Amino acid sequence: MFFVLLRGQQSLSLFRLAAIWEAFRVATASLRANKLRTALTLVGIIVGVTAVIAVVTIIKGLDQTVAQTFSSQGSTVFTISKNPQIIKSREEFIKSNRRKDVTHEDAEAIARTCTACWRVGIAANAVETVKYNDQKAENVRIRGVDPITMFDIDGVSINVGRIWTESEGASGREICVIGPDMLKNLFNDAPADRAVGQEIRIDGRPYLVLGVLEPLGSIFGFSRDNVVYIPYSTYQKAYGGRRSLVVFIQVHKTDQLESAEDQVRTVMRNRRGHLIGNTDDEGFALETQDVFLNLYGSATSNIYLVTIGVAAISLVVGGIVVMNIMLVSVTERTKEIGIRKAIGARRKDILTQFLIEAVTVTAIGGAIGVGTGFGLAYIISALIGFPLLVSVASAVLGVGVSSAVGIISGLWPAWRAAKLDPIEALRAE
Amino acid sequence: MSDATLTLTPSESVITPHAEVNGHDPKMLISMRNIWKTYQMGTESVHALHGVSFDIPRGEYIAIIGPSGSGKSTLMNLIGCLDTATQGEYWLNGKNVSEMDDDELARIRNQEVGFVFQTFNLLARATALHNVELPLIYGGVGASQRHDMAKKALQSVDLTERMTHKPNELSGGQRQRVAIARALVNHPSILLADEPTGALDSHTSMEIMDLFERLHSEGNTIIVVTHEHDIAERAHRVISIRDGQIEKDERIR
Repeated sequence: MFFVLLRGQQSLSLFRLAAIWEAFRVATASLRANKLRTALTLVGIIVGVTAVIAVVTIIKGLDQTVAQTFSSQGSTVFTISKNPQIIKSREEFIKSNRRKDVTHEDAEAIARTCTACWRVGIAANAVETVKYNDQKAENVRIRGVDPITMFDIDGVSINVGRIWTESEGASGREICVIGPDMLKNLFNDAPADRAVGQEIRIDGRPYLVLGVLEPLGSIFGFSRDNVVYIPYSTYQKAYGGRRSLVVFIQVHKTDQLESAEDQVRTVMRNRRGHLIGNTDDEGFALETQDVFLNLYGSATSNIYLVTIGVAAISLVVGGIVVMNIMLVSVTERTKEIGIRKAIGARRKDILTQFLIEAVTVTAIGGAIGVGTGFGLAYIISALIGFPLLVSVASAVLGVGVSSAVGIISGLWPAWRAAKLDPIEALRAE
Repeated sequence: MSDATLTLTPSESVITPHAEVNGHDPKMLISMRNIWKTYQMGTESVHALHGVSFDIPRGEYIAIIGPSGSGKSTLMNLIGCLDTATQGEYWLNGKNVSEMDDDELARIRNQEVGFVFQTFNLLARATALHNVELPLIYGGVGASQRHDMAKKALQSVDLTERMTHKPNELSGGQRQRVAIARALVNHPSILLADEPTGALDSHTSMEIMDLFERLHSEGNTIIVVTHEHDIAERAHRVISIRDGQIEKDERIR
């Protein structure tokens, strides 16, 4: 009895391996033998997986681009401003418009009292036309910053040339650091060192180019390199000191963010003292980069779900193609099934054989689909202008999902094959 | 169950002289006891076999003969465990096959029965060697042992040089010999041949029948199902089937 049991178990494990290998061998042989059918099945799956992979990759690329854009300043940065950067309602707009301007003095007070703050800087923006000789660049962002650590807070770095010194920055001289788009638009794509030392005109005033920034790339077709940095003192001279500015505060590590925010909030509340008691508004906007990401996330998540859903439908159609072709395959090979059953194949052997055949073809289709999906995403991302993100996870997901489609759509045909009556099956031609 | 059958149709049950009505004879390789096979055709019941009983000892060479529609194909399917009887007991090599489910029957077919078909029924896309290996694959024999056993089986039917050929590269006789090698490779209790020469010319037929004779002399139990008398006459015992019953069961050698 014991011997019989042992022998039974031993042959069981060996049996499974040999039968599964046989099933795989048969599956690949059958796929090779029926090239047209295999090709049709593959196309069905490839289209589905391509659609899903392309959509997912493009979405991930967009997300990444957005996240990078907002976090090039880093998740360690938050801002104090008069008007919030994202205004969600008309009431909010009216409310924030009644506030006092955020000033250079506010920034200095923050820098003085906030112990958790690492870097504090101010920035103000204007949009102008920039000229060099007869070349012209329109809608250029002019960013007045102070001190020069604002470059670090903004996450930009110098490529060629230099940034102004602190004393130059305080002098109110017409000096600037240009974004790489200026090379293209003003200097006919000349190398960066050719631009350094030249004089460009912003709003008619001459500015000496001290340096050129490293490119940051573009987002949604909007270049982040279409910028000219000038010292805040110069900005004030050109555009007046009346405009409200934005205070940028950076902490060393993310976990210091909360205490820094608390300290800054206290400082600002004290400075907006006349508003204490007015529970309606504290008189300033404190925002982290999460605000943008959350807004972006809530705005796009539904669109993404629908897009992925639509792409997934093509995968379902692919699954139906597989099921159809597997049914044909089972019908065509009824005789073979009969022979296998006659010489001792059990139901699960036949079931496994056809399941493996379905999974093999869908997994191959999935792998090809992952490739074409990335290819399609590459083309689209190149056209729109954002980086391509090829992730191993989505590749694994693509092959995994298509294999699952293989199992699901192969199950019924395989079950039909497995429960064929051997006598009937042998009679088939 | 069998009592009810007996009372319903007592005159129709044919019992061979040496059979025991209840239980099986452990000395026998095959014991069929009062086997019925009934098909339901709409509202009508058609009895393909009614009350067939016989015994086959180990090492016998038997022919089952009968015209088409006599029930001999049904009987062959039952002997080969491709089908189960509506009523009655079938003992094969000490196991009561009549009460087995699909997967247990598959196991019995794999271990106890070697089929040889009229149209060979080889897998077209597989080599001769792989065709012969197939029962071993489903029997869970490891790869190296499988190769050895399959080669030996092909050797025993003189096909050593054609092992890597596919069926369409072989003659009819060679194909049937591959099928015989496949049937023998698992050392089954019975070699069950269904019209094994039906698709062969007379010369090749003789070769195949000579091979059966040799295999019998080597100790194999062989059952040939045929409607051709000259094929049946090569056997040592002939069971004639007519209208679902055993008409004659005679030792001719």
